[in-house]
Amino acid sequence: MCGIVGYTGSRKAAPLLLDSLKRLEYRGYDSAGVAIVDKKLRIYKDKGEIDNLRESMPNIPGVYGIAHTRWATHGQPTKDNAHPFADCKGEIAIIHNGIIENYLKLKESLIKKGHKFRSETDTEIFVHLLEENYTGDLESTFRKVLPMMKGAFAFAAVHSKEKGKIVVARKESPLVLGIGEGENFAASDISALLKETDRVIALHDNEMAVLTPESVEITTFEGKEVTRRPERIKWTVEDAERGGYEHFMLKEIFEQPQAVHNTLLGKVADFDVNRFGRDAFPSIKIVACGTSYHAALAGKYILEDIAKVPTEAQLASEYRYSTAAFGRPLVLLISQSGETTDTLGAAREARRRGRRSLAITNYVGSSITREADDVIYTRAGLEIGVAASKTFLTQLVSLYLLSIQLGLARRTLSFDESRKMKEELRLMPRAVQGVLDEHKVIQKIAKKYHKARDMFFLGRNVNYPIALEGALKMKEISYIHAEGYPAGELKHGPLALVGEETPIVAVAIKDHTYEKMLGNIKEVSARSSPVIAIASEGDRDIEKYVDDVLYVPDVPAIFTPIPVTVVLQLLAYYAAKERGCSIDKPRHLAKSVTVE
Amino acid sequence: MKAIILAAGEGSRLWPFTYSKPKVMIPVANRPILEYVVRSLVANGIDDIIMVVGYRKERIMTHFEDGLDYGARIDYAVQKKQLGTAHALLAASKMVKGDFVVLPGDNVIDPKVVKDLLSADESPCALITESEIPSKYGVVQIRSGKIVDIMEKPEEMVGNLISTGIYRMSSDAFTRIRSHSRKGFHDLTSVVRDLSSSDDVLAVHTSGKWIDAVYPWDILRVNETVLRDIGEKKSGKVEKNVTIKGPVLIGEESLLRSGSYIQGPVVIGRGCEIGPGTVIYPSTSIGDNVRVSANSVVEESVIMSDATIGPGSHISHCVIGEGAFLRSRFSSSSSTATMEVEGDSHKVGDIGSFLGEDVFCEDGVVASPGSIVGAKSRVSAMRVLRGTIPDKSLVV
Repeated sequence: MCGIVGYTGSRKAAPLLLDSLKRLEYRGYDSAGVAIVDKKLRIYKDKGEIDNLRESMPNIPGVYGIAHTRWATHGQPTKDNAHPFADCKGEIAIIHNGIIENYLKLKESLIKKGHKFRSETDTEIFVHLLEENYTGDLESTFRKVLPMMKGAFAFAAVHSKEKGKIVVARKESPLVLGIGEGENFAASDISALLKETDRVIALHDNEMAVLTPESVEITTFEGKEVTRRPERIKWTVEDAERGGYEHFMLKEIFEQPQAVHNTLLGKVADFDVNRFGRDAFPSIKIVACGTSYHAALAGKYILEDIAKVPTEAQLASEYRYSTAAFGRPLVLLISQSGETTDTLGAAREARRRGRRSLAITNYVGSSITREADDVIYTRAGLEIGVAASKTFLTQLVSLYLLSIQLGLARRTLSFDESRKMKEELRLMPRAVQGVLDEHKVIQKIAKKYHKARDMFFLGRNVNYPIALEGALKMKEISYIHAEGYPAGELKHGPLALVGEETPIVAVAIKDHTYEKMLGNIKEVSARSSPVIAIASEGDRDIEKYVDDVLYVPDVPAIFTPIPVTVVLQLLAYYAAKERGCSIDKPRHLAKSVTVE
Repeated sequence: MKAIILAAGEGSRLWPFTYSKPKVMIPVANRPILEYVVRSLVANGIDDIIMVVGYRKERIMTHFEDGLDYGARIDYAVQKKQLGTAHALLAASKMVKGDFVVLPGDNVIDPKVVKDLLSADESPCALITESEIPSKYGVVQIRSGKIVDIMEKPEEMVGNLISTGIYRMSSDAFTRIRSHSRKGFHDLTSVVRDLSSSDDVLAVHTSGKWIDAVYPWDILRVNETVLRDIGEKKSGKVEKNVTIKGPVLIGEESLLRSGSYIQGPVVIGRGCEIGPGTVIYPSTSIGDNVRVSANSVVEESVIMSDATIGPGSHISHCVIGEGAFLRSRFSSSSSTATMEVEGDSHKVGDIGSFLGEDVFCEDGVVASPGSIVGAKSRVSAMRVLRGTIPDKSLVV
């Protein structure tokens, strides 16, 4: 998981590259480096955040170059292992995002031929392969070398003798090209380019491109020409600024009413709903990773409750091991970035199995939109904070909308019910705003419990996955060890761990699970655990059983995950803030994970 | 030159519309009041803006972000306790050097106002304008173009020139403000009054549009004035047999159902559903994601985002807050009424009712002219609402 950028034009490349790189920092940030050609090839690297590199490198005049921010997969996060890498002669420099699976074998043969390796990375073999096979032209050398490599990659390379030229290639790792006036760009994703241009071409798998200040030529690895028009991107650079907020995550949490508005506004069913009728598939399998997997788990309850379709949620990395299914299920893929390697792998696996697939993603033109038969866009806008907030919430909203559509198409939902549900959904931005308006109450509770070492999050029914998500948020940004559990499972194990040192967050909204949840709350409070309940507005009874209550606006039971999620996000955020954590860039984590 | 916009206050006299947002974020013609200030500054080339925020600052920051959408660069300074306008200005004191412009964020102004201020290339200076009701404001006394005194809300008629609260000053004024602050004076007017006794404070007259909103009924007046200048743009979908007359703005993904009659100036936001058979009369603003259901009539009103107006309702000269839900046959006609705000009585002509955000009314509720319903209140069927009802009330 890394971020790469490239620039060729007439402006000074170094500050431009570092600026763009900064916007990719969410993809990883344990080391960074740049390669720029002026009179000769110059490479500068440093450990840590991009600002470290900015301070340690001199002012150099070159007008084309490449840069990289790294998140270690092979080899320690050290200066030596940072990209770019140069060949033995110091003429070629390359950067890489992805994994080269057969690098050990290639490395051995290169060492035998006398190449000297300076790092422990898989990446470095590529630059020596280029050197070994150099034809006097980087483009044709790429074509010769690329087929030797197994794995996933996005490469960018420069040669000190081929002035103004950058060659890039992509297979299963994201890469986009930015088109400017007398200058061109390449980057791992759109956000790095927004400041410079809004015209973007997405490179597809097995395609490479040659960039010069005046031209962009795209071909397949085999050399077939590709013509593709640039798309205009509506996001602005300001989408990537913090706008007065202390952290991107808080900004993004507060943007959620608008994000939900946008999701609802978007035509959710751009595809033909009739193709999703009763006979089209007997069941659904939702496949996702991380936070999106929690949306998938919630999706199981939502789809079964509203559309009455049997649904199973599965982790993308495990999908390939689950070979039997009921009938021929629709495979629903959820990935915020649309580039998550595990989810893309599952998409390909689904195709191999002949399944129809539908993707839910936030990124227009991302890889998953090409892998899936149909796409739903969440329209959450750019999310910079590594911990997902608005993208998760809009995934939920998309799942509700899809469920209502499916319920109608399959005749499992009456027209009247579907209309009422859509009306309820229309009011969700208010429910979210209602929680945000009470953020100071949540902040107070977070302050009270932020010193906890362990926490448990309990939920039932559709709020069980939300408890998992609440625990994940707490773990990833506040580093408090937090576990989410279905409340009924408590007595089967985790109860042994509770005590006065372990605060319990219990989602206890007024629905058919309420009485049972109260029982679970009594179980833990009897063992002197402090309990924070998340309850429906107006539920005064619960105050008798718990230490603290956070109220959410009263919405129909199936929709409660929306306000409850927002409460849990704020709870995690304020706990992390009290603990002084690096909220937007939690240690060891990267935003979209493009390694397996 | 930089501009400092004071946007930290709650504006409690505009309750219930300040329940969850500062006064400056109240929408008129579907844009927050503060946005008019920002746009007028940018139109005059002032794009480096500092906003002093406090009460519910997130609402402001989420709307304006870093200002790029408005062609500006916006930084935020936080005033922790809202003591007064001069105190607010101090919060931004470290962010400016030399001359700057300071403006209240809660007055709708047009670009001409800023232009007039900049025309006098001198500081300090105060922007003044004529008012029909000077007793509401600080009335200025002028001698040979200089301010000699400001009288706050004079009961007797002493003149009709009032201070707009818009000034041009330089950063050395901060010393003066600090010493005032120590004496317990926190408002800008008293600082300027004091300044005028020793220095020359130039009075600059503006003929531009300057409207302030102090009380809930002012929202309608400001809305009406701003709507006079809206253009015409129809996005969304308009079904057959819809009549649209005059300047009407319709946002994307909105749906106007058959048989509806819209007479501009009217602005309708994004994702709304209007009709069938709904009548909307002039000087009405309808926010985003609003439903106005079958056979309802709306005239000279502001309906904020996410509200639902049930079938057969009549809404005249009303302000309906965000997310309000009126199930069916809600009725609020207008006439002259006496309204009480923070202990003072005001006789207001031609006025309907004011519903705070998330008010929920069951069927057939009647709101008497001049009634104010606090946010998140719930009203049972067939009730008649009168006077002022606090937040989160249950009317049964």
